Amino acid sequence: MTSADYIRKAVFLLLGLALLVASGSSFYRSRHRVETVVLGEGVAEVVKLSRYFSPLEGTANDCSLYILDSGVPGATLLLLGGSHPEEPAGRLAAWIFAENGIMEAGRMIVAVSANRSGSTVTRPSGAYPPDYTIPTAWGGKTFRMGDRWTSPLDQWPDPEVYIHYPSRQNLAYVDIRNLNRTWPGRANGTLTEKTCYAFMELIRLEQIDLVIDLHEAELQYPVISTIVAHQKGMDLATYVSMMLVDFEEFDMGTEFSPENLHGLSHREIGDHSDAVSLLFEAPEPFLDATRGKTTREQLLTGKDEFVVKAGEHGLLFEAIDEHGWPIDVRVGRHTSAVLQTMESWTEEHPDKPLVCAGVPRYAEVIERTTGAYLHDPAAAPPDRVVNE
Amino acid sequence: MSMFTYAEIILGVMVALYAVAKIFKLSTELAMLAAALGGGLAGGFGLPARHIAEGAITYLDINLIFISATLFMNILKESGGVAFVIRGILKGFHRSRILLLMLLAVLLLVPGALTGAGSVTVLITGSLVAVVLGYMGIPRVKTAAIIFIIAGLSAAAPPVSLWAMMTAAGVNMPYFGFFLPLLIPCVIAALATIFILGWKGTPVDLEKALKELPEPPEKMSWLRVLTPFAVFFILILTGRLFPFSTPVLGLPFMFLCSALASFLLSPVKIRFFRVSRETIDQLLPLIGTLTCVGVLVQIMTLTGVRGLLAVTAVTLPVSVVFASLFFLLPVSEAVLMYGSAPVIGVPLILLFNTIGLDPIVALAGMSVIWPLGDALPPTAIIGRLTVDVAGYKESYTRFLKACAVPAIVIVIIGTLMVIFSKALNFLTIF
Repeated sequence: MTSADYIRKAVFLLLGLALLVASGSSFYRSRHRVETVVLGEGVAEVVKLSRYFSPLEGTANDCSLYILDSGVPGATLLLLGGSHPEEPAGRLAAWIFAENGIMEAGRMIVAVSANRSGSTVTRPSGAYPPDYTIPTAWGGKTFRMGDRWTSPLDQWPDPEVYIHYPSRQNLAYVDIRNLNRTWPGRANGTLTEKTCYAFMELIRLEQIDLVIDLHEAELQYPVISTIVAHQKGMDLATYVSMMLVDFEEFDMGTEFSPENLHGLSHREIGDHSDAVSLLFEAPEPFLDATRGKTTREQLLTGKDEFVVKAGEHGLLFEAIDEHGWPIDVRVGRHTSAVLQTMESWTEEHPDKPLVCAGVPRYAEVIERTTGAYLHDPAAAPPDRVVNE
Repeated sequence: MSMFTYAEIILGVMVALYAVAKIFKLSTELAMLAAALGGGLAGGFGLPARHIAEGAITYLDINLIFISATLFMNILKESGGVAFVIRGILKGFHRSRILLLMLLAVLLLVPGALTGAGSVTVLITGSLVAVVLGYMGIPRVKTAAIIFIIAGLSAAAPPVSLWAMMTAAGVNMPYFGFFLPLLIPCVIAALATIFILGWKGTPVDLEKALKELPEPPEKMSWLRVLTPFAVFFILILTGRLFPFSTPVLGLPFMFLCSALASFLLSPVKIRFFRVSRETIDQLLPLIGTLTCVGVLVQIMTLTGVRGLLAVTAVTLPVSVVFASLFFLLPVSEAVLMYGSAPVIGVPLILLFNTIGLDPIVALAGMSVIWPLGDALPPTAIIGRLTVDVAGYKESYTRFLKACAVPAIVIVIIGTLMVIFSKALNFLTIF
């Protein structure tokens, strides 16, 4: 090698090191960013998911569970946020329940990071921002952006094809890290499968009556603005849908959970437990393949000219205009849908009521914003603050 | 400024920088990197270190497959196993050109069909087939074309077709009913390809071939050659047959197991570290390309350029979409590789579903066309890998021209499957 070669290699080495340090610190912050939940007065207890399946202890997916217990006999609801962490309205709605909900009858168990590992990573080639901030009166609360899949740092490698347990259905290899393709899970499976297994144990041991899994979807996805219901919950979902359309003035459809599409919460929880399983989808233009600039602003406002153009050509399953789909609208749809489900459940099962107070409905979230329902951890007693 | 204007300006900047870099004789990899960095700067993102690094690891798993599979094949070559197999095939089948061509087509179809990766076909059986085709009097350029086209078809063939699987997942459709719609066109097109490009040639001069081919070590045997392959296929099949009682190994580890088996069974001493170093030297350009393509795609996504291309493609009139599938799918594959399935495949399948076509057959038709893009710039990953493995060192454009006739056949088959998908939906039985 000539001296010029050495200099060239040294320059590239230094550039590489600079890239390593700058990007590495950003990735480290994403993985270790502390998110706080300020426990509402309705939270009676916080436990870890590993309580129900000890092998999860110490893993990235040993998420917190917020137990809201009225002390009044009734049904038990499991609310899952963050199955797909890249769908922030699901997490934020669950967060609002954990920080504000007060059960007046029955119990509710809330997970805000059902796939916690997935919340610590972003997608290669997706160009996601590492985090986003919801404005609040006390300055703003920052959340990890997350991905659809469990972080490869926690579960790797992938197989060349993913065979779902127990159906043996073949799915795309990467879906072995998708929490909503690995239900009902396996005790000796991958981290994602074990996470689902732990939730199933929770469902059995806590005698959960109703499971609601909160999601968002791209507008070109046919299953959007809807409740996907296991057949056991179809009547309930239909009634909820009617009530929301009539009284809250936003459209919410219903769909049967396909019997031959496996691994999804709405199918497998219903099939493998006594619980009724529902999945709610809100629109998130950020997920559309045709989206424009990938920014925090797009994530939170849902405004996107390219997606609007796709809509003008009839390629979308949900309307979109220049107003986009702001995060408050998406979160409000979820909080209202959950509250309405509890009300409709209680009408169907007066002997096993579910009554929740303190959580805003659709119109209130839009009027006061999501941030109005996220509390300042600095102003809360330390024993009422939990790190996610 | 509208989002369209913004993205168009950035696209213009990226194209201009790429062109300037090429004028200054920078490599394709550095030209792509320059385009990506320029796009980030023009888009107001500065030099986004996180996005550059994240994009760079997009294809990490594919790189690991390339490295481990090539290491395996290089060890096999060093041990004399490759020469042994080629001599065996020529001795056994040299009298019947038809049988030999069909055998070679099957040898090329199987690895990719099982793994979903055309690169595995090229790396596992490509070099063997290349030598045999050479002794059948087929020019190197046609040999490379045969291997590339059938490797692509093998990736699209069932049971594992990643384009179909990823697109199906994107539209909430079970990966069911695809077996025949994928198998039939892949087999027909593979046979058509090998007979179109391989029929003309010379009869195998067995004596000359055996004289020219290196003599394998005396102790080499079919057991020593086939055991490493058996290790690979046993690991694959074990994972398929007993998925709930075997750990996930991943293709790179499976290839490493085969490499280890080949190393241990070699009748001659192999200098492992030398072979490893040569393997990395051999693959470095390919790894560089994949790394830089990842950065480029990440910046295109960040700035909205990827969205601009996607929305422009899917909002064309339906007749134009049909007529442009031959261009749209390979070009999207060339830029995004498997990422083309969620970006282009999902909106197209939704469009086809909306107008009443059968989404399974239509997606199968598209899946057959997609791999053709693996020979096109900017990535040209499988194309470049193939010409390397086949030992073709002349003009890459000539190689592309040699692929043209079978590519046209494949495009016609795939496009007709999309257009007549409804009439063909009787194929979607399992």
